[in-house]
Amino acid sequence: METLRTIFDIFMTTYPGFLEAVVITLELTAISVVLGTVLGLFFALMKISNSKILQGIANLYITIIRGTPLLVQIMFLYFGITQLIILDNFWAGAIALGVHNGAYIAEIFRGAIQGIDSGQTEASRALGMTNNQAMRRIVFPQALRRSIPPLGNQFIITLKDSSLVWMIGVAELFSVANRSAASSFKQFETFIVVGFYYLVLVMIFTYIVRWYENRLDVDKA
Amino acid sequence: MIIGENIHKSFGDLEVLKGIDLQVQPKEVVVLVGVSGSGKSTLLRCFNFLEEMNSGKITIDGHTINPKKDKLANIRAEVGMVFQHFNLFPHKTVLENVIEAPIIVKKMDKEKAKQLGRSLLEKVGLADKAEVYPSKLSGGQKQRVAIARALAMEPKVLLFDEPTSALDPELVGEVLQVMKQLAEEGMTMVVVTHEMKFAKEVADRVIMLDKGVIIEDADPKTFFENPKNERTRQFIQLVE
Repeated sequence: METLRTIFDIFMTTYPGFLEAVVITLELTAISVVLGTVLGLFFALMKISNSKILQGIANLYITIIRGTPLLVQIMFLYFGITQLIILDNFWAGAIALGVHNGAYIAEIFRGAIQGIDSGQTEASRALGMTNNQAMRRIVFPQALRRSIPPLGNQFIITLKDSSLVWMIGVAELFSVANRSAASSFKQFETFIVVGFYYLVLVMIFTYIVRWYENRLDVDKA
Repeated sequence: MIIGENIHKSFGDLEVLKGIDLQVQPKEVVVLVGVSGSGKSTLLRCFNFLEEMNSGKITIDGHTINPKKDKLANIRAEVGMVFQHFNLFPHKTVLENVIEAPIIVKKMDKEKAKQLGRSLLEKVGLADKAEVYPSKLSGGQKQRVAIARALAMEPKVLLFDEPTSALDPELVGEVLQVMKQLAEEGMTMVVVTHEMKFAKEVADRVIMLDKGVIIEDADPKTFFENPKNERTRQFIQLVE
């Protein structure tokens, strides 16, 4: 009972600061999701291209990103990029998250594109479309639809992973909670509160993705 | 209209077509038959370059095609194809399926394409299905849409790759009916099928492929009543 009360008190006293931090967390997530999707599409197309060189570049990128911890990538990019150009830690973190996501999203797109029945491409070509037209008009729109559930999943992972940029001093949700916990000495209760924030955010996100999926499914196979 | 000369095609070590010569005259309906694996579908797919030949020559409407130089997309636009599994675009409505290629490939005006699409859907008896998605159609309806889609490009010749093989028996008739109507209107057609009734009634010529070579090429009456090759005789017994 005592603990519940403490948790509630912490919630009531911290929420103005936490809500500000939620906005930063959402901004980080949004930027890295957009960047990751663009990179992902780009590398997926490279991977399914006929060029061995493009395939090689895409494979290298995906192997390195998937083979190293996100935290290492964040530190690497932060200390690497900020040596070359002036960039605040928010943008360094957002770019690191975006580049990280790109590798996973590339694999989602590649799988979805290759999962479309080859008859679709054949029918398009038989109608006189070029490979580009067939991809743009016929294959990709179907692949995109199929990518939405795994993409939604990836976006949720991104939202949670954004807590790692705490390490380079971005004032997102986890970072603010950590500071608050350290100053109040109520670590246990504070992290329950911050966990609750993440949980609610993820649930909202899940709901949006599901709603969108259902909307796409209406009438269409 | 379409002439194939000495067509060879191998998949790895397996030689599927061993020097096929085939001429299809304008307005002619040619039916290709043969057991599975005889190469009939492969031959059809060579005609619109969905399958790359190892050697041989294809001439369409007096123009011998050089697959290295000619734009294959342009050639395919003139050779329509209807597939066994329809291959309709599931994310597009029936009408959108039909007008997609005219708009994208021929750059046809959208309103004009819609008019064309509607008239073609009417022709195959599906005018009322223009706005629905393919998933709502029966197999027979899907195949009729696929035929309308191929016709929308105004092809010089139409290839059918086992158009009724994936259909429930009761739906075969409606598709054959549309094909018969096309034949009567003078469409040049090459049809791979197991529907012997269609071959007898509609074909001008029936050709039997066996192990990658043409072993019989005759008008339907001769083909079914007096074939010269023993294997053709066996095949006819088998399917009838």
